[in-house]
Amino acid sequence: MAEASAAGRHWSLQRERGSLLLMRLTAFAARRFGRRLLSPVLHLIVLYFFLTGRQARRNIAQYHDYLADWSGRDELRPTTGRVFGQFMAFADCLLDRLDVWGGRLRLDQVQLLDPGSLRPQLVQGRQHGRGQILVGTHLGNLDVCRALAELGERVPLNVLVHTRHVAHFNRLLGEAGEQRLRLIQVSELDPALMLDLAQRLDRGEWLAIAGDRVPLHGGRSVAVDFLGHPAAFPQGPWLMAGLLRCPVNLMCCLKIDGRYQIHLERFIDDPAWARGQRDATIEGWVQRYAERLAQWCLLAPQQWFNFYAYWQPPAPQGEPDA
Amino acid sequence: MNAPASTALQQEIAQLIIDTLNLEDLTPADIPPEQPLFGQGLGLDSVDALELALALQKRYAIRIASDDKDARRHFATVASLAAFVETQQQAACAG
Repeated sequence: MAEASAAGRHWSLQRERGSLLLMRLTAFAARRFGRRLLSPVLHLIVLYFFLTGRQARRNIAQYHDYLADWSGRDELRPTTGRVFGQFMAFADCLLDRLDVWGGRLRLDQVQLLDPGSLRPQLVQGRQHGRGQILVGTHLGNLDVCRALAELGERVPLNVLVHTRHVAHFNRLLGEAGEQRLRLIQVSELDPALMLDLAQRLDRGEWLAIAGDRVPLHGGRSVAVDFLGHPAAFPQGPWLMAGLLRCPVNLMCCLKIDGRYQIHLERFIDDPAWARGQRDATIEGWVQRYAERLAQWCLLAPQQWFNFYAYWQPPAPQGEPDA
Repeated sequence: MNAPASTALQQEIAQLIIDTLNLEDLTPADIPPEQPLFGQGLGLDSVDALELALALQKRYAIRIASDDKDARRHFATVASLAAFVETQQQAACAG
């Protein structure tokens, strides 16, 4: 990537600019004015981001190109219209998020695709001990997966996030009347955090974490092939799974023909590595995850909401000492 | 100075290290209390440390604070780990 300085801007820096302000603004406006009035305003804001965000436009065009190459489907090639469509899909996604927060997106409006019958396991988490890990993605609407908290009835869902604004988001969630969902800030895996997570799993609670964004600090990453090109993925979720020894599931929530579909599937039954095989084992999982992600991208090509430069070489790894 | 014979707790911790990290080809006797666990010694790394910390916390019902600046020192050897566990347990009883 030639213009690495701009292109290489890390998502966590890039997001600081608009996302929090935007969510705050829209959360307020949604309470105040409702979706119908808010929709044109938000679309205007996103139009502004489209017009001023040259780099984001390029990044999305690159994603479309790679997706077209990888799938051999030429109709997926980027055009201004298709790239713009991606931004509009994001505006739509933000509006839906507010509906989710406000409890206006009901469970019966969401289709659950759960071939491995994971939902009953989620519901039974409370009685039968062990919780599980859900690895999510920024393809589609991560927030609709919050409906899972409702699916799980009384089972709390802990969402692990990298943002420093956890307290703020938790307050927003609280205001929105959300109680089963807890955000936990994870910047680095440390013993106290691991113990806390292990105890939550033992109580039957579930942990959700995104598998497609590399944290800025203290993050181990691994580069695997994604849509035909090497991209860095975080090791964190998989290290966590191996250390906590609990089943890992993938989830993804796509809007297909105006209706949300939650895909929920078992990924690893008993994550563990042999001595000396940790890195290789994790790389294998991440590669398999990237392949699954690529297939999901084809189901909803315009809902890839990673607007930063995704295909970057991994940052040089210093061994973060114990 | 001769290496002192290891205590029961030290042996227990050496066994815990072996079980937790799948070091099947070792016995507690292969991990002398004063041998460094990381780097040049046993060759463990930071993820091993995390796995070990999790196992120790569960086994001995102690808690390792996330902002503990001395964590590195506690995890240096089996002997330092044993001393740390003892201190934590005493603190828990006292508290």
